[in-house]
Amino acid sequence: MTEKPVADMSFEEAMAALEQVVGALERGDVALEQSIALYERGAALKAHCAGKLKDAEEKVELIRAAEGRAVGTVPAEGL
Amino acid sequence: MATALYTHPDFDGHQTPPGHPEQVARLAAVARGLAGMDLLRLEAPLGAEADVLRCHPARYLERIRRAVPVAGWAQMDGDTYLAPGSYQAAMRGVGAVSAAVDLVLTGGVANAFVASRPPGHHAERETAMGFCLLGNVAIGAKRALDHHGLGRVAVVDFDVHHGNGTQDLLWDEARCLFASSHQMPLYPGSGAVDECGAHGQIVNVPLRGGSGGAEMRDAYEARVFPRLAEFAPELILVSAGFDAHRDDPLAGLKWDEKDFAWLTTRICDLADQFCAGRVVSVLEGGYDLDALAASVAAHVGILKERGQ
Repeated sequence: MTEKPVADMSFEEAMAALEQVVGALERGDVALEQSIALYERGAALKAHCAGKLKDAEEKVELIRAAEGRAVGTVPAEGL
Repeated sequence: MATALYTHPDFDGHQTPPGHPEQVARLAAVARGLAGMDLLRLEAPLGAEADVLRCHPARYLERIRRAVPVAGWAQMDGDTYLAPGSYQAAMRGVGAVSAAVDLVLTGGVANAFVASRPPGHHAERETAMGFCLLGNVAIGAKRALDHHGLGRVAVVDFDVHHGNGTQDLLWDEARCLFASSHQMPLYPGSGAVDECGAHGQIVNVPLRGGSGGAEMRDAYEARVFPRLAEFAPELILVSAGFDAHRDDPLAGLKWDEKDFAWLTTRICDLADQFCAGRVVSVLEGGYDLDALAASVAAHVGILKERGQ
């Protein structure tokens, strides 16, 4: 498991770490006492990935909105 | 009739290293939760090897006996330790469950709660793990079947971790319905819906991390209680872990005392319907001491109310 803080991870890094966590929990090769800590790390990674996806979605929306204005308004003004 | 409470000072001989969550103080918390409650308080006898051997081979029991240290600890797995008093404690646990099954089946009491340590539901045939040495509940179920001649015994495990040990010990036991609810993914990793036992008699009910009492109630009403009713048990054993409590440090479900009381009530309803109210409940996990005291009080309070 990498020592890099979850908040500093890229989407790809966080996804890879999340897959490791889920894999370890599903294989059952984690001690009972550590299991919840690992689960919590998984939850933090999932939240981080979800946040990154949301950011990306918002950027796509902004681009779409900007494109909409460009095609919809500029030609009309020119007439 | 009364509700019996089995416990014994020998359980405190199963000491765990400092900082270990499965600690001696847990039974003091249980005692605090049950203080002043009108229960038939009984000393747990030592268990018989014959009872253990229905679930674990003699070489495994011998391995534990030999591994017991003279002082300090012997480590069995990542988080399972033996102290000098651990073998005695484990055999008291077997004795407590066996005596509780005997007393309930012979009509001495309506139902019983066993306050024992170490817990048992992670112990597989030849593997001590997850704080557990011997599969107490499965041993109790086998005693009810083989010694008392019952034909159908149900085991309900509401500890937050999957009862992999009980599942292993009862995998091929057609006379037992085993139902376990547990957070997933979490230790020990097993307990998927498609793990059904050799005879389709095992019901695994994984619950989502962060989920609470409402999800638990829906899951039991939809998946556990109909199977129990269809099975029509002659005795219900309960692996009563209280680590699904919202304050528990080892898991992430959000149940509270009311949820444990509800679940106990519904189990007693089914016991009333099919087996004259016969329930033997055995302590498993529960690691926040205050939550454990309050949850055990809620659970045993219902057993007592229903046992009258």
